[in-house]
This record gives sequence, C-alpha cells and structure tokens, in this order.
Amino acid sequence: MLLTALAALAAVTMCGCADREPLRPAPGDPAAGRVAIQRLQCGACHAIPGVTGARGQVGPPLDAYGRRVYIAGKLPQDPALLARWIADAPSLAPGTAMPKIEMTAAEARDMVAYLYRLR
Amino acid sequence: MPMAPKYRFALQTFSALSIAAAIALLGAIYTGAYDVTATHQHTRPVHWALDTAMRQAVRLRAKGVKVPVLDDPALAQRGFVHYRGSCLQCHGAPGVAPEPFARGLMPLPNSLAQTALEWTSAELYWVTRSGLKMTGMPAWEFRYPDEDLWAIVAFVKLLPKLTAADYAAMDRGSSEKSTSRWTGDLPTAGDARRGAIALQQYACTSCHRIPGMVGAAAHVGPPLEGIASRKYLAGRLPNTPENMIRWIREPKNISPATLMPDLDVTEHHARDIAAYLATLK
Repeated sequence: MLLTALAALAAVTMCGCADREPLRPAPGDPAAGRVAIQRLQCGACHAIPGVTGARGQVGPPLDAYGRRVYIAGKLPQDPALLARWIADAPSLAPGTAMPKIEMTAAEARDMVAYLYRLR
Repeated sequence: MPMAPKYRFALQTFSALSIAAAIALLGAIYTGAYDVTATHQHTRPVHWALDTAMRQAVRLRAKGVKVPVLDDPALAQRGFVHYRGSCLQCHGAPGVAPEPFARGLMPLPNSLAQTALEWTSAELYWVTRSGLKMTGMPAWEFRYPDEDLWAIVAFVKLLPKLTAADYAAMDRGSSEKSTSRWTGDLPTAGDARRGAIALQQYACTSCHRIPGMVGAAAHVGPPLEGIASRKYLAGRLPNTPENMIRWIREPKNISPATLMPDLDVTEHHARDIAAYLATLK
C-alpha cells in the first residue's frame, strides 16, 4: 500500500512536466495560436496535442514540439524561422510536401507560441 | 488463521525495513546523492553488484557458444588488424597505453592480456559481439562479421604471450586498415525483431523517439510513432517500403539539406529496420 503510494509519488515527480515554461521564449499568444491551427486545418496533415480532430498522418506528429531541436529536420529551431516555415514552407525547402498557406503574420507567430508550449 | 505474535512482529519488522530501504533508494535517486561522475569510484557494494552481475551473465550466455579452431596465425593476424583498428584505443596493448580519452572512462577498460587468461574464448567472443551496458564496451555484432569477431578473439588470446617488442614488430609489419563494416548475406525479407536491435546499433534512438525503445526521449528528429501510416518520408518522399529503405540508407541523396546523417546502414540492416518501422501503425 505504502509502496504503491511511493511509486505513485515517484511517477508524479518524474512526469511533473505539465505547463512548464517553454524552452524557447516566443512572442505571440498560444491560445490564439490554437485557434489559428484549428482554422487553418493544420490537423489535416499533422497530429497536434490539444487541437480537436488534429490526427493527420501526412506529415510528422507535432507532440512535444517545444523540445524539437530542428525545423523540418533541416534548420535550427527559431521562432521567426518557424513562423516563416509555417506560412511558406516551400520557400525554405523547395520540393517539400507542405504547401504555402495564406495567413496573417500574427497567426503564424501565435502558432509558433502554441507549438513551443508543447513539451 | 490468526498469526502467532512472534511471527507477526517479524513480518511487521520486515515490512518496515523494506519500506525504509525503498524510501532510502528513492531518496538517493531523487536527491542526486549518488555520485555518477567518472572521477569518483563506485562504492564497493555497487561495484561488486555490477561486476558480479556482468561476470555471471557473460558466463551464462557464453555456455552455448561453439568455439571454432583459433590457433591459426593467419586468423590471429587478421584479428590484430581489427584489434589495432577498434580495440587498442581503449584497451591498449603490450607496451602501448590506451588513448587519453579512454583513461577518463569509469570503469576503466581492462588490459585484455589479463582478461585473455581469465576468460574463455567463448566468453571473449560473447562480450566482443554483444558489448556491455554502462561500461563503454560497444557491441561489435553490427560492425564485424562473425569470422572477424573470432579473429579478434584469436588475437586477444595471444596477448598475454606478447612482449612489447613483439607487439611493436606486428604493428610495424602491417599497414592494413580494419574495415569495420558488416558484410552479411542479404535475406529476402526484413525481420522486425532484428530491426529493433539494428535501430539501437545504428543510433536511430539518439535522435528519434521510437515506440518500443527504452531510452531518453529524443527530439532531434521527428518522433516515429505511426510512421507506418505516414504519407510522406522527410516531407517529400512517398512512404513505400522501398523508399523507406532508401531514406534510411542515403538521406543526403534524397534531401541534401537534411541533418540526418548517412550511417552506412547495410541493405540487410535497412530491411530489418524498415520491417520494424512497418509495425508502427
């Protein structure tokens, strides 16, 4: 009984990672970013935690994106660069299956803020 | 059935001690009290436990190994070339010190002149082939074919008989390079179970989080959960079995800017890895 409690305590200590600060500070509003992800249907291609129905399997899943070291396996992670990637991936990687998507600069910035909070 | 008071007391004492031990162990883990640095020795009990577990496990697993004929000078010579290429750096040789980096390892790699006397050929083969967790000893199974592993054992068995001058003469006598590249037969189909081992042996898990693999959660590359259902590889290549094998073997040819390095994956091993990844639906 007590051992079970100890194991549970250990598990909680190990996984106490909910709602930590992002590894990289990013300007933008994460909540608005989630709305933009929803509106622009990113979930059609990507699985994204916290976004209803985002279970796409065309591109890679975006869980724990805040810990991802590189953008698209090619570029060191950076908020401005990721915002550019989200809006216009082909400009950074010609030939990529990810399309250019019409959006405002604020939407791209907010999505970065949302993704960087995923740990 | 009611318990005699004497036994109940013993049971309670045992439970209390177990709980105290569990708390102490968790405490040692979470407070960071145990010194994990390579400049501090293990405590004697920890060293005894690790060393005994290692020795016994090797003895047990080497039992079924069939030892080929090893007293062949040509075989030992081939073993010497591989030893100089892949073992000397950490283990040294008669009259030759290990490289500076290897002197910083904890535990220190053994001088194999002694190990050769105390271990059987089957045990030396087993350890060379399979490696040892937490010691820095890598597995060579995916680098050398079996005959080369036995050649290394043949040379190691010779080590205790060599003077410093003997070894120096062997070193001068050959400029042959060891090619640590696996050249096995190509099976017709990939094997997912072997693929799971190959995933570790080609360091895939140091960048990718892969279901079924225990290890640090790596986020250098994308996670591979559901990779079998993914439509594209590397964001551009249709996910077919043949493309998966191509991508694993030559990522830079497919996507020149990719940070995924070429790992010299043999076709055989790439097929096994692809077979494992195909199970991740």
